[in-house]
Amino acid sequence: MTLATFGQSALIAMAGLGLTHNTLVVLGGVAAVGCGAGVVGSLTLLRKRPLVGDAAAHATLVGVAGAFLATGRRDLPTLLAGAAVSAVAGLLVLVLLRRFTRTREDAATAIVIGVSFGLGLALLGGITARGMPGGGGLERFLLGQTAALTARDAALLAAISLLAIVVVMAVLKELLLVAFDPAFAAATGWPVGLLDAGLMVLIAVMVVIGLPAAGAVLVTALVVIPPVAARQWTERVGVMLVLAGLFGLVAAVGGVAVSSLRSGLATGPLVVLVAAAICLASVVIAPRRGLLARRLRSRFDVGGDRS
Amino acid sequence: MSSEAFALHAWSMLTAAVVSASCGLVGTLLVVRRMSLLGDAIAHAVLPGIVVGVLAGGRLGGPLVLVGAVVAALLTIGLTRGLRAAVGLAEDAGSGVVFTTLFAAGVVMISLFASRVDLDPECVLFGILELAAFDVVSVGGLEVPRALLTATAVLAIVASGLAATWQLQIATAFDQEAAAAAGIPVAAVTTGLLALTAVATVAGFEAVGAVLVVAMLVVPAATAELLVHRMHQVALVAVTVAVVAAGLGWLAAWRWNTSAAGMITVVLGGFYAAAVVLAPADGLLARLVRKLALDWRVAREDWLARIWRAGELAGAAGESVPRPRPRTGLERAAAVWLRLTGRVNRSAGKVRLSKDGAREAETVVRSHRLWETWLGRHADLPADHLHPPAEWVEHHLGQAMRERIEAELAEGEADPHGREIPPEAGRPDGPPSVV
Amino acid sequence: MNAGQQPLVEFHDVTVAYGRRPVLWNIDLAIAEPCLFGVIGPNGAGKSTLLKAALGLVPVVGGFVRFGGLPLRQVRGRVGYVPQRESVDWDFPVNVMDVVLMGTYGRLGWLRWPGRRERAVAAECLERVGLADLAHRQIGRLSGGQQQRVFLARALAQEADIYLLDEPMAGVDVRSQEQIFGVLAALRDAGRLVIVVHHDLRTAAEWFDQVALIDRRLVAAGPTAAVLTTDNLQKTYAGEIELLEQLGQAVADRGRTE
Repeated sequence: MTLATFGQSALIAMAGLGLTHNTLVVLGGVAAVGCGAGVVGSLTLLRKRPLVGDAAAHATLVGVAGAFLATGRRDLPTLLAGAAVSAVAGLLVLVLLRRFTRTREDAATAIVIGVSFGLGLALLGGITARGMPGGGGLERFLLGQTAALTARDAALLAAISLLAIVVVMAVLKELLLVAFDPAFAAATGWPVGLLDAGLMVLIAVMVVIGLPAAGAVLVTALVVIPPVAARQWTERVGVMLVLAGLFGLVAAVGGVAVSSLRSGLATGPLVVLVAAAICLASVVIAPRRGLLARRLRSRFDVGGDRS
Repeated sequence: MSSEAFALHAWSMLTAAVVSASCGLVGTLLVVRRMSLLGDAIAHAVLPGIVVGVLAGGRLGGPLVLVGAVVAALLTIGLTRGLRAAVGLAEDAGSGVVFTTLFAAGVVMISLFASRVDLDPECVLFGILELAAFDVVSVGGLEVPRALLTATAVLAIVASGLAATWQLQIATAFDQEAAAAAGIPVAAVTTGLLALTAVATVAGFEAVGAVLVVAMLVVPAATAELLVHRMHQVALVAVTVAVVAAGLGWLAAWRWNTSAAGMITVVLGGFYAAAVVLAPADGLLARLVRKLALDWRVAREDWLARIWRAGELAGAAGESVPRPRPRTGLERAAAVWLRLTGRVNRSAGKVRLSKDGAREAETVVRSHRLWETWLGRHADLPADHLHPPAEWVEHHLGQAMRERIEAELAEGEADPHGREIPPEAGRPDGPPSVV
Repeated sequence: MNAGQQPLVEFHDVTVAYGRRPVLWNIDLAIAEPCLFGVIGPNGAGKSTLLKAALGLVPVVGGFVRFGGLPLRQVRGRVGYVPQRESVDWDFPVNVMDVVLMGTYGRLGWLRWPGRRERAVAAECLERVGLADLAHRQIGRLSGGQQQRVFLARALAQEADIYLLDEPMAGVDVRSQEQIFGVLAALRDAGRLVIVVHHDLRTAAEWFDQVALIDRRLVAAGPTAAVLTTDNLQKTYAGEIELLEQLGQAVADRGRTE
């Protein structure tokens, strides 16, 4: 059997399963996004700021609605561009609140999350109430819905995600240095503020491209849960990044695939549940750091003391 | 407006206000105890608890749902702490894992049991405040929205719960360790607060949906903190802000034909922003004014002191001396002002200090020289390094501090450069003679 | 690095404020030659702050710090730093070798990974602090003394001329302390300047060539025996700093003097 006929048979078989070329590309795009989210999220987890993506994520809604209102277009690149602008704006507001007001850091984060989302909902509600042509369906950015993704959209998302991964790899040692010991990094001349800002921008990007798969409310889970799960399995940073990427990929693809079993299901919650399942398994069965391993170790230690 | 429409608006605004008041009240303690993000977590995590409550036969706003919410909230805390204890996961990361998972589970449950659960996926995120006025119950002849009854019950629970434990809550919020040492059951107090948060969240959830409850919990208290400083004042202002924002937000949503939940949140944000800028003590505007006032005072004092020192050098402190050149625009303006207010007299290119001007100048020079003396004694600094520190300290040394330093010195002691230190203005010694 | 007659390290009228509140007042200190230099004072005196001011980690609101007459950014590669152990989360997924290699990043610059030369330098530094056989251990599984020596090895890997150490002996067993002191003395003998923030007066008197006594301001500085007099110690450890605190509060309140 030649390669060509094998390929043709495979395509026919997949078509029989309902897996069209389009679906495969979409899944590929989602996979890339999940992978990137896991990688970038690992860096924020190591930097001890795992929830910085949450503020960015809730702020994206304003940009999505705003982009539609401003341009009248509802193609994905336009809407995501708007989301990116408002996500960065939200992070900027957060930084300004911390710098110029007495408000505590956690309260400031909660304020940005709530108020930006409220503004987004106000805009969205206005669009829906007026029945603007093309305005319906913007709600899919709340909880995620990949049904409307075209192959081109998915390819764009994948490209951005892979670019983000490349950027992370390029400055990996700097990011790890700042995450591990920011005082030493600053003292030895590295621009800690700049690197932190760069990481925040990367998270904002991941959150934005994660919107189709997970939605604004839950995308933060995609950058938090896979890294937490990955950390359980290793004490080497490199391995942790690879595993986080893998877990993110599986969660994204798994969630999207399962949601396609029933029409109309939002993808975000399912992506999160798959990620959570991986995390639960990691917490329990991982060697050394897992719950079972610790339980067994303490049993053996008690017995060993007697010898 | 027809009377029906008016009644609709009035009931809805009232419901929103009552819900907002509960959240604002509970939020005061959450914000002060740095538990704002915990409030965020609970606001999301109660969803599966609510769904289970509804599945068990309860109704939105009924006791079963409230119990489900409280259980879900406590589960969230427990799991977060469990993750920290079991695998050393930091609380914020653990919280992020737990509440997103629980929220996702809740949404999936709604989809799976759509037929049995009378919950809209939209309700989860938008709230159903707009529909509240249509689901009415008869109360003493009046047609009252069921949601309002729920909200009032919730407010009663929250208010009475907090009132009963207010002192304990404040003590725990202020200093947890000291409270524990004083015998306060800190764990129980905290659990109680979290349970009340869950209850308030359920009411808020119905009105504005899961995510925006966060805003109703945190923003009023954060705004109040910028304006007042005592805890009971903060609570009062927070509730006021919450209620007013709810009313205004509803009206704005009606006027602009959009989501009430969204507009209430936007109005809350507006109040917070206004407080950030306009707050009397901590606001950006107030800080700017204070800074300008300080710069102005420094410029004035520098000018007066320069003239005084020039006079001392020339041999007579009270004499006219050639007018120095102002170093900055602000100093130039200060010079003009001092002339206008009669502290400095100018004639034919020479200037002279009036009695008031001389007194103010002497205070500055006195502060300067006292500080040089103190630094010279207590720090290892050569004499020629004492001037720059004293140059800026001279503006901040108050009378009490000056007297403390002087108490250390011998009678008539000179500064490290051998110059005499002017006595405190208004003392019987009178103006100094020249060195 | 010594540009003519410039001191190796010079603090000139250095005032540091946290928020708007001064915590270090007008520090004037010049260290001219390589030696083992101790910075001593009570808790909260600002000793760590002094080090951080030198490294640009806290803002200096008055005065400056120079190294051989040059500002820090021109001589970054020549200044090694050992921060306090508590500043780091030891549960980080890296091993001893990874941390020591971080000392070489400064010379590598952006976009380059540590190669053979860097690994050789790191291995040699581990050898000098006696941790060669623990190179692949995850850092959370080290004792306090071992963690401190890892930080020291990282600083050695910077191949610097001036070393600033912040409480390197805190919470470290006596044997490790002696070992660390041995490495520092060897550095001094090799012509390096080693500045150490230290908490213990007794060992300070034994180990350091020169000391500075700090309590919000510089009380005295110079050869150890000359500086550690009863009078100076009294001024430092039981001295009058209430006035400084009052003044600091007045400044922080933006000029409200009464």
